[in-house]
Amino acid sequence: MSTSAAWTQQLQTIHLSDVCKSYGDYPVLKNIDAEVARGEVVVICGPSGSGKSTLIRTINRLEEINSGSITLDGQNIHAAMRTRELNLLRSRIGFVFQNFNLFPHLSVVENVAMSPIRVKGVAANVAHEKALKLLDRVGLADKARAYPGQLSGGQQQRVAIARALAMEPPVMLFDEPTSALDPEMVGEVLAVMKSLASEGMTMICVTHEMGFARDVADRIWFIDAGQILETAPPDEFFKTPRHPRAQRFLADLRH
Amino acid sequence: MINDVIAIIQDYWLLLLIGQYPNGPLGGLANTLILSALSIMLAFPVAILLALARLSKWRLLRWPVTALVYITRGVPLLMLILWSYFLVPLWTGADVPSFVTMLTTLVVYQGAFLSEVVRAGIVALGSGQMDAARALGHSSLGAMRFIILPQALYNMIPSIISTFVSTIKDTTLGYVINVPDLTFAASQVNNQLLTQPFQVFLILAVVYYAICWSLTHVANIVERRITRRRAGLSGGAAPVALVPAKIISEQL
Repeated sequence: MSTSAAWTQQLQTIHLSDVCKSYGDYPVLKNIDAEVARGEVVVICGPSGSGKSTLIRTINRLEEINSGSITLDGQNIHAAMRTRELNLLRSRIGFVFQNFNLFPHLSVVENVAMSPIRVKGVAANVAHEKALKLLDRVGLADKARAYPGQLSGGQQQRVAIARALAMEPPVMLFDEPTSALDPEMVGEVLAVMKSLASEGMTMICVTHEMGFARDVADRIWFIDAGQILETAPPDEFFKTPRHPRAQRFLADLRH
Repeated sequence: MINDVIAIIQDYWLLLLIGQYPNGPLGGLANTLILSALSIMLAFPVAILLALARLSKWRLLRWPVTALVYITRGVPLLMLILWSYFLVPLWTGADVPSFVTMLTTLVVYQGAFLSEVVRAGIVALGSGQMDAARALGHSSLGAMRFIILPQALYNMIPSIISTFVSTIKDTTLGYVINVPDLTFAASQVNNQLLTQPFQVFLILAVVYYAICWSLTHVANIVERRITRRRAGLSGGAAPVALVPAKIISEQL
């Protein structure tokens, strides 16, 4: 391996190469090629039904792909592997869902501490202590004993972020984390995401929050009909979008 | 009439309670309770295993179990009991006690019914919970055990209890293969008295009602306690859980 190849390998965290996926005859992802460097924040935007959520779900293999490869630090996520290996790989990719998907039968602190205990074998008291720290970080230390059903949407989503962080993933994926929230709660979730980004977390976010994209993203991927049509830094993307479809999308947003 | 009932109880309470024991096999109410408890305790784990097998991605596991559940659910319990009573000794030459025959048949039959309840509870949770568990790195079995089943079983408490109640009532069918249970004892009493069938079987009905009602009552208390602990429950689990726990028996 040449030195330059080794260098890019170190820099890149996630590499998608020629990723195709279809539901039956209907193609949802067409020849996606992209990469995300360590510490980079990528925002995926595009019209609904364009394949954004499917794309982000293929990165931790919640969705299978038909061809191509997706690697995390050089390891192919979609290679044939033992389920144990896949579970280990998945635990290194944090995922935040649109609908939070907290475990309603567990208290907030148990939601956060459970996976380190059950998946990584962390001692219960260590995991709980760390869970409390993470909850403090997302501003919910006082809700540790509450159950998810007692929290607002914004609070639930912050717990979900803490739950993902508890596994200490080097990468975090966000699938429309604010789309199910009342408008007044969007800010508190975005604030947590911003602070994560400022600490150097590698992040991929599907979001319709263009303000967040402008402020926090290093790059925007614009996707439509299963293809990445444009990737650009936010300044460039919002001021001078090159692709006509992106121009139309941004014009529609301004209405 | 009430005097007749009291007189019957005074004369035959021991027979109704423990059958011919200790001069013969244990029977009566004691045997009914033992048979019911064993059937429920065995049918429940069997049902969970059957449900997991039916949801498995391996066809070799899914198809045979699906066939078993369909066939068992599509055949009257009485017929299954008679089959196992006559066919098992014929095929194996083993002399199986009727109690064991009854227990096994009940476990298979109620296990099949209960497995559909458990499966429905799992499917009704939706994919979000499993997605979240997988995204955090849980194995499918771990996710089932710690995340999916605790919710699915809780949501299905009313249906599960109704199946338990059915199981208790179905133990009466052991009568046809001479399992000495409460029904058997009552019919012995009736045969001795000959003139008071209504009184005898009224006692029988009241006792069964009391057992089934107690079980339902205990289940309601347990359910209320869990609900209180999770006060303010929301999300996908809520709609099923918040249905008042009125027991509707599907197999009456």
